[in-house]
Amino acid sequence: MDAEAAKLLGAGIAMGVGALGPGIGLGMLLGKAYESIARQPEVAGDIRTSMFIGIGVTEAVALYAFVVALILIFVA
Amino acid sequence: MKRRRLLWAVVVVLLVGALAGFDFLHERGSAQEFEVAAEFELHPIVELPTIGPFDMSINKAVVYLWITAAILIVFAVIIRLTLKPRPGRFQVIMETLYSLAHDGIVGAVMRSGRATWFPFVAGAFFFVLTANLIGLVPLPLAEHWQFGFYTATANLYVTLALALCTFIFTHYAGIRRNGGLRYLKNWAPPSAPPVLKQLIWVIHAVSEIFRLVSLAVRLFANMLAGHAILAVFFAMALIFQSYLAAVLLQGASVLIYLFEIFVAFIQAFIFAILSAVYIGGALDQEH
Repeated sequence: MDAEAAKLLGAGIAMGVGALGPGIGLGMLLGKAYESIARQPEVAGDIRTSMFIGIGVTEAVALYAFVVALILIFVA
Repeated sequence: MKRRRLLWAVVVVLLVGALAGFDFLHERGSAQEFEVAAEFELHPIVELPTIGPFDMSINKAVVYLWITAAILIVFAVIIRLTLKPRPGRFQVIMETLYSLAHDGIVGAVMRSGRATWFPFVAGAFFFVLTANLIGLVPLPLAEHWQFGFYTATANLYVTLALALCTFIFTHYAGIRRNGGLRYLKNWAPPSAPPVLKQLIWVIHAVSEIFRLVSLAVRLFANMLAGHAILAVFFAMALIFQSYLAAVLLQGASVLIYLFEIFVAFIQAFIFAILSAVYIGGALDQEH
């Protein structure tokens, strides 16, 4: 395997595996948030606000993987 | 009526996309390859001398930032001059966005100092939102003055500068409210045992740096990934070398485009709300 192929493989694996964890996390987060909105629609606004904060923090992990993949392709 | 309008929009985007794909193939020859990374390269439009480590040349990102600032200023002046007790369409949109920033972001997460920090948080919200949305309008700023997609927020330097504003204001707010020494002391809970306390303090100090990094990288990576996907879908004719695939897949690009409008809003909202959370946390320290 030459270096170029290893780079591309590494980038693909980084993005794919890196998206696994945040995907599960986002699913749990959104599921719980919608569940609690369905239970108590009167506090939907508060739940939605903290849900977006959670989305931002969880999603960042996948984006780190994306940046690592970009670095592997274009910089390394 | 509404459905017919949506149908027309889909047809128009399909036609424009097919034409753009045809144009691509026709003009450049079918052997031309499509490079996603080339869409995000910055070439100086006006060459200016380098001052110290700073390259002062004007490139795409700078022009996009100017457009963003100009739109914000013009909208602010218009809305100020035409303020009416019975709002029109434009004023209703602006009032909705303003109340989203006022009640949905600052009012929802900050316990005190709302009046002081609302201008910064709302400014960040409107700036990021406008920059994101301008990036979805094709402007003739790509290479050879072709129409192309680009966002200033798909550039790490722009988002890092925005995140640095939040970072600096967070600690400024904390020090001004609590006093320098007490603010730093409160990074660890005072009730913790001695060695553990120092450990917690170090972990908190590292997390402050990572807040800065994640705030910048989140916005940058989201916009970059979105625009890369858009560029790939709009260049389907070039990638598959087939008009049929291009016309069929343009339908998918409409959906991606709609999703990108949603992402532009969500990212601006998340950037502003996290700024408000950080500043609020520095003002009212937990421990």
